[in-house]
Amino acid sequence: MDQLLWFGWFRADIIVEYAVLFWRGLQMTILVTLICIVQGTVLGLAIGMARLADARHAPARQLCHYALRWPATVYVSFFRGTPLFVQILLIHFALLPLFINPADGLLISGETARNLKQNYGAFMSGVAALTLNAGAYISEIFRAGIQSIDRGQTEASRSLGLSFARTMYHIVLPQAFRRMLPPLGNNAISLLKDSSLISAIGLAELAYAARTVAGAYSRYWEPYLAISLMYWVLTLALAYAIKKLEARYGRGDSR
Amino acid sequence: MAEVIRVEGLTKRFGSLAVLQGIDCVIESSEVVCVIGPSGSGKSTFLRCLNGLEEASGGTVRVHGVSVHDPRTDVDALRAEIGMVFQRFNLFPHRTVLENITLAPSKVRRLSATQARERARELLAKVGLLDKIDAYPNQLSGGQQQRVAIARALAMQPRIMLFDEPTSALDPELVGEVLAVMQTLAEEGMTMLVVTHEMGFARQVADRVLFMDEGLIVETGTPADIFDRPQQERTRKFLSKVL
Amino acid sequence: MNLLSKIATSIGIFTLAVGSLHAQNRELVVGSSATYRPFAYENPSKEIVGYDVDIIKAVAQKSGLQIKIVNTPWTGIFAALNNGDVDLVISGVTINDKRKQSYDFTMPYFEARQLIAVQKDSPVKALKDLAGKKIGVVTGSTGDDTASREFGKTNPDIRRFESTPVVISELVNSGVDAAIGDNGVIAFRAQEHKQLKTVNDPSFPKEFFGIVVKQGNKALLDKLNAGLTAVKADGSYAQIYKKWFQAEAPVLPAQ
Repeated sequence: MDQLLWFGWFRADIIVEYAVLFWRGLQMTILVTLICIVQGTVLGLAIGMARLADARHAPARQLCHYALRWPATVYVSFFRGTPLFVQILLIHFALLPLFINPADGLLISGETARNLKQNYGAFMSGVAALTLNAGAYISEIFRAGIQSIDRGQTEASRSLGLSFARTMYHIVLPQAFRRMLPPLGNNAISLLKDSSLISAIGLAELAYAARTVAGAYSRYWEPYLAISLMYWVLTLALAYAIKKLEARYGRGDSR
Repeated sequence: MAEVIRVEGLTKRFGSLAVLQGIDCVIESSEVVCVIGPSGSGKSTFLRCLNGLEEASGGTVRVHGVSVHDPRTDVDALRAEIGMVFQRFNLFPHRTVLENITLAPSKVRRLSATQARERARELLAKVGLLDKIDAYPNQLSGGQQQRVAIARALAMQPRIMLFDEPTSALDPELVGEVLAVMQTLAEEGMTMLVVTHEMGFARQVADRVLFMDEGLIVETGTPADIFDRPQQERTRKFLSKVL
Repeated sequence: MNLLSKIATSIGIFTLAVGSLHAQNRELVVGSSATYRPFAYENPSKEIVGYDVDIIKAVAQKSGLQIKIVNTPWTGIFAALNNGDVDLVISGVTINDKRKQSYDFTMPYFEARQLIAVQKDSPVKALKDLAGKKIGVVTGSTGDDTASREFGKTNPDIRRFESTPVVISELVNSGVDAAIGDNGVIAFRAQEHKQLKTVNDPSFPKEFFGIVVKQGNKALLDKLNAGLTAVKADGSYAQIYKKWFQAEAPVLPAQ
């Protein structure tokens, strides 16, 4: 391909040459981000509520504390306390081979394992790591959000005879959710950018495309500027969607 | 007259602080009992023990014969029979007035949407706020919010109503409209337990007045007994400060 | 001139003299990606050792150069050369035309070929047999070039990673079917992992490693070439080769 120079130095042709990689990478980044946002939120809700689990009387109280609260606390501490990059490598090179291995996988082995690993290995590891990581941060957002709702709301609801589950579902969570939208939104945006780390285990997403081009041509401005622009656009789109969500849930709440 | 609430030897500690030091009390059906006393006397805690919002450290509370604090008691079912009105109203801000009132009846009593709506309209008419049926709580004054809260509690058709300082957070000119609703309720025969500082209301509406101080019921009697002929020194001291 | 100007001038000349003297004996920074055993790697005492290290030390001694070896990740090693973070690079870099466009190479110091590594039970006999299979390479390496030229540079079956150990891990875990890389490195890794074997495709051309300097740095290039010639002449090259590869050193061309 002939050199396509922009501004006299930017070699746009090398981007065009690898356009397929960038396009596929963009799709993969979006896919991974969306999946992890959804899964992370569900997981975060579960863990957040586990951290608040309580019962009026023993032995249910002890059960709540040891079987729910304590494991949840350890989980959150670990996934917030270790670097995401390390988590990705740990899961891909240590954990995944334990479960999915042609030779002796605990979960899946043989030919299926080989196919699964080759075609989806990096994807599974990356999504798993990102989901677990996001779940930990999001659980803290949920916990704080739920705890920020005035106790009087719960008291009034329970006094009417509404069960704990109904109180959570109708009264506490809807109010908490509106408060949690800004930090949840921030988390979603972080997730989008963190997904770039999965390129290290060979997942063909956006950052991987840039690394490939940089490796092939030893030129760094072009590929990294290109993906910076793409990440920026994606972030703006995400921020816009979050703003729309915040607007929709804004009616009626005074405090 | 049927016994509705029986409290025996009720004690409550928060850590090392003894808030209730042994309460014995019986409330009969259709009785209106007002609880007065200085702040910190345990009045609110006592009230909140009756529907299980507070755990008891000792003693028993029985409502319609059912022990409130027994782990085996279905506390949600019990609370459906006891309505509570709070000092800070605690309306659900993200729902309209109608939704506030119909939520519990439709979920717990399984009323259809139409039935729930009908009941809500009746109750709102009763408290004089039918025109606010689709408003949000933050669009109402304090007195209006409290009246909606009363309607919300009544929507479950409870047999007992508990009022925890219902007018303490209201501007003076709004107090009257809420007390009026409460008086109507009393006249209709509702069993009511009201923690309040409104002595005029107590004198006029209550069948019995309990004076509490430092976690104990110091004196009990008819409004005339308590306000005109207080026997205990502490009662006299308190009344001299508030009347 | 008055006294002040005399003093200023003297200081100026003195500084210049010291500066140029210092420049002549300035320590040169050598960039090497120490994940490339047996060419450059970190031993347990955290020293960087290997064939490349011994060669450059010998060359430096013969040319009277002071050197300091710095572990530089492969991804940015050429960028480091360009912006002056390192003065020269010796890191198993294959001399090829594309790289010659941007950088200057010394004469060869090692003869190499590409080599394929596969699982012991693999039926693969040549590069062509890898069609449709997942291939692991180091981003931007000669292996990457080889695979890209044969199967297409945007082929999703080519999985690129940041360093050789990661590629080998992926191969061991069956994440990829094969790895392509320089024979020195691949052979070492294969004998390290008993479940792997190497496959030599005779169509792989003979290639050479060279020391890389910034384009136009003729002074340094000449010194390095002089050093290399001396190292080959007095038998040091043969000695170092035998030490690392237990074989007779091949004769290298002068260009």
